[in-house]
Amino acid sequence: MNMMMDRRRFLGTAAAGLAVGAMPGLLRPARAATPLNFQAAWINDAEFCGYFAAIDQGYYEAEGLDLTYMPGGPDVIPESTLISGRADVALTTPDTTIKAIVDQGAPFKIIGTQYQKNPIGIVSLASNPINTPADLVGKTLAVPPVNVISVEAMLKLNDIDKAEVNIVPYAYDPTPLIKGEIDASLDFTTNVPYTIEQAGEKATSFLLYDFGFTIYNDTVVVTEETLAAKRKELVAWLKASRKGWDDNLADPAVWPPKFADTWFKGTGRTIENEIFFNTAQKPLIETPKGIFFMDEDGIQKNIDALAAIGIAATKEMFDTSLLEDM
Amino acid sequence: MTRLRRLLDRHATALTLAVIVILWEIAGRFQLVASGALPAPSDVLIRMWEDQADYWPHVAATVRTAFLGFVGGNVIAILAAILFVRWPLTERLSRGVNIAIFALPPIAIVPVLVLALPGEWPRLTLAAIAVYFPTMTAMVVGLTEVDPRSVELMRAYGGGEGAVMRWVRLRASLPALLGGLRVAAPNAVLGAILAEFGSGSRWGLGTYLLGSLGRADPARLWGIGLAATAIAGLAYALAALAASRVTDASRAVTIAAGATPASEPIGRSGGHRVAIAVVALVLPFAIWWGLLALSGLSPIIAKTPLGVFDYLFLPPTAANAQARLLSALAETLPIMVVGMAAGLGFAFLLAVAGAVRPGIVRALMPIALVTQTMPLVALTPLLVLIFGRGVAVTVAITVSVTFFPAYVTLAQGLSMVPKAAFDLVRAYGASGWRALRMVALPASLPWLFAAARLAVPRALLGVMIAEWLATGRGLGNLLNQSRGYLDYGMIWTVALVSVLVSVILYQLAVGLERLATARR
Repeated sequence: MNMMMDRRRFLGTAAAGLAVGAMPGLLRPARAATPLNFQAAWINDAEFCGYFAAIDQGYYEAEGLDLTYMPGGPDVIPESTLISGRADVALTTPDTTIKAIVDQGAPFKIIGTQYQKNPIGIVSLASNPINTPADLVGKTLAVPPVNVISVEAMLKLNDIDKAEVNIVPYAYDPTPLIKGEIDASLDFTTNVPYTIEQAGEKATSFLLYDFGFTIYNDTVVVTEETLAAKRKELVAWLKASRKGWDDNLADPAVWPPKFADTWFKGTGRTIENEIFFNTAQKPLIETPKGIFFMDEDGIQKNIDALAAIGIAATKEMFDTSLLEDM
Repeated sequence: MTRLRRLLDRHATALTLAVIVILWEIAGRFQLVASGALPAPSDVLIRMWEDQADYWPHVAATVRTAFLGFVGGNVIAILAAILFVRWPLTERLSRGVNIAIFALPPIAIVPVLVLALPGEWPRLTLAAIAVYFPTMTAMVVGLTEVDPRSVELMRAYGGGEGAVMRWVRLRASLPALLGGLRVAAPNAVLGAILAEFGSGSRWGLGTYLLGSLGRADPARLWGIGLAATAIAGLAYALAALAASRVTDASRAVTIAAGATPASEPIGRSGGHRVAIAVVALVLPFAIWWGLLALSGLSPIIAKTPLGVFDYLFLPPTAANAQARLLSALAETLPIMVVGMAAGLGFAFLLAVAGAVRPGIVRALMPIALVTQTMPLVALTPLLVLIFGRGVAVTVAITVSVTFFPAYVTLAQGLSMVPKAAFDLVRAYGASGWRALRMVALPASLPWLFAAARLAVPRALLGVMIAEWLATGRGLGNLLNQSRGYLDYGMIWTVALVSVLVSVILYQLAVGLERLATARR
């Protein structure tokens, strides 16, 4: 290594230091930031816009957090990353989380919810519409294996024999639906209709939530151990995340383009798709009490819906005290 | 043979490819297959061109993971092979571990790797696991099959086993090793992509595939598949080039993988042999146990062998777990056997046809290679649209994953039939087909069992993938559903059972093979 290299490297480092110093958003608070690992539920898409906004705006740093964002995927089970200690806080589906608490004795607490209404629903083509659970009788419905119990619950709540619906696996690709190989699929109603319309078809959908399966989604989950040890940090996380979501939902078309070269770069999806998603999810996330809020009534609805499929949820599995501390 | 026919044979690969591309273009252009779900090749290429800015970082990530996994897995495989040949007892003791690594279904271990290892290690580990077995078996054969005269010479001059290893075996092993690396290289690419797909990584072709699946854009999916194929093919070509540079090593690894494990008894007494067999059987379980203890994972996730036993037999829910497992097995096993038989049958027919008309083989090889590297999940919608969601689609997927390794092994076997034997029956006026029936078929029987052995874990994997993505039945569906419910008792049980099924069928093939060889 020669002098030139050293000097050049030094200059580079100094310049970078100056640049960071000059940007007010990146100024770190005086106290040392506490590391916190956050496991998302899927790969980067509009479902997580609020967190991306909060990271880019420096909200976590302002709250004294050094946040590590971990994207999800088909083999990443968010609850498992909590148990294994790889993540401190994770987004989950409440049915699987509560089933894990009941069946496995997993030490989880639900401390908030991103979606007040679960965006999962039955999507079909307008040319062969399925508008209510009753329309499913005699039809073929593609469902991701993990969501089969949700569908069975919805059918039961609507007095439909599950044997009358032909349930097949859903492999993330809407092509069989567009080509008519299946009549409907279970998916995020905030997302797939866009793809279907891009393919030149009209989509129609209904939420499981609107037909009795009244659960949250992307529930914010921690282990009891983390709750005891990092309560302050978790409240800080909720605060910063809420700020990010408030910014993002103020105008759902504003933020996705800002992430085009960062969070959404190379995901294989389009920014227009993310704007559609972000716009569609707004009414499912927002609540007058503040994003992530869980009230008595909402929790009771979760408990009732899960009871329909024999999952014995209790109020103790939800901890609203952190939201109250915010 | 006429001149025209000779010309056709020589350019068979290029000709068939051209015909296929043209037919494919027509089928895609006019939406003839699966109501237009098969894109025309020109559309795929145009799409790739439009997406090129997206591709580079993903390709770079996949190449990096595959390369590091390839290096790591091969270093371990080479060291293990040296150990096994230098001290043959270690090979006998490790046999259970080796077969278990060969039989591990990737879809069962990725979720566990993701939890047990940080950062990019799950992806590197899967790529490394994918290369270990082919390289290790090739290296063992290379180290073992040396010119006995060289060994005698070393010994005569007082050289010990260490000297023989250093001066004779290691040098002689190079061609076989390079043959092994040729098979290992595309395996590393596939392992990397599979792990990227599942593990929540930000970059990699697997991640890109996952993000693109929801767009109902077959041209994009085929583009990603072609990119994967190109990387795997390039890796294969590089390894093949290295092989041809170093030696005239045209010998493929399938000889190694196809060779029957050495069966000469090492133990002095029967008791000794039994002891070795018991250790070989227990060792994989001990390693399983040890790794879990080291990982420090919660017992909810990390089920030890005892934990699986407990889950299956002790609690009140055990009966329910057993029933679910058995009904899944009852769905999976028969179809696995059927799919495997069909895959082997096709491979056999083509190998036989190739022995008579070599042009056919050269023509179909590139297509067979592509079926090995296209990620199945990208093809599922097309397969479902063509074959439906019943037995047909499962058999089709199983055939597609078992066909290639079986074919390569069988073709190898048929090509080793002594030319003189053919000449003899021909001299007596037998036709090509008749010569095949009288000479080639009997000679290739052991290779059929070798091919079956290679095909076993792949057949099971194929069936499980079809069940997971298309039919929603059997072990594949049980595994996927259990993952979502955090039912780790069932996840480990399915992983264990699928390894056991593979090992049992593998040993069955070994046994039949010995029987067939002994009778001749």
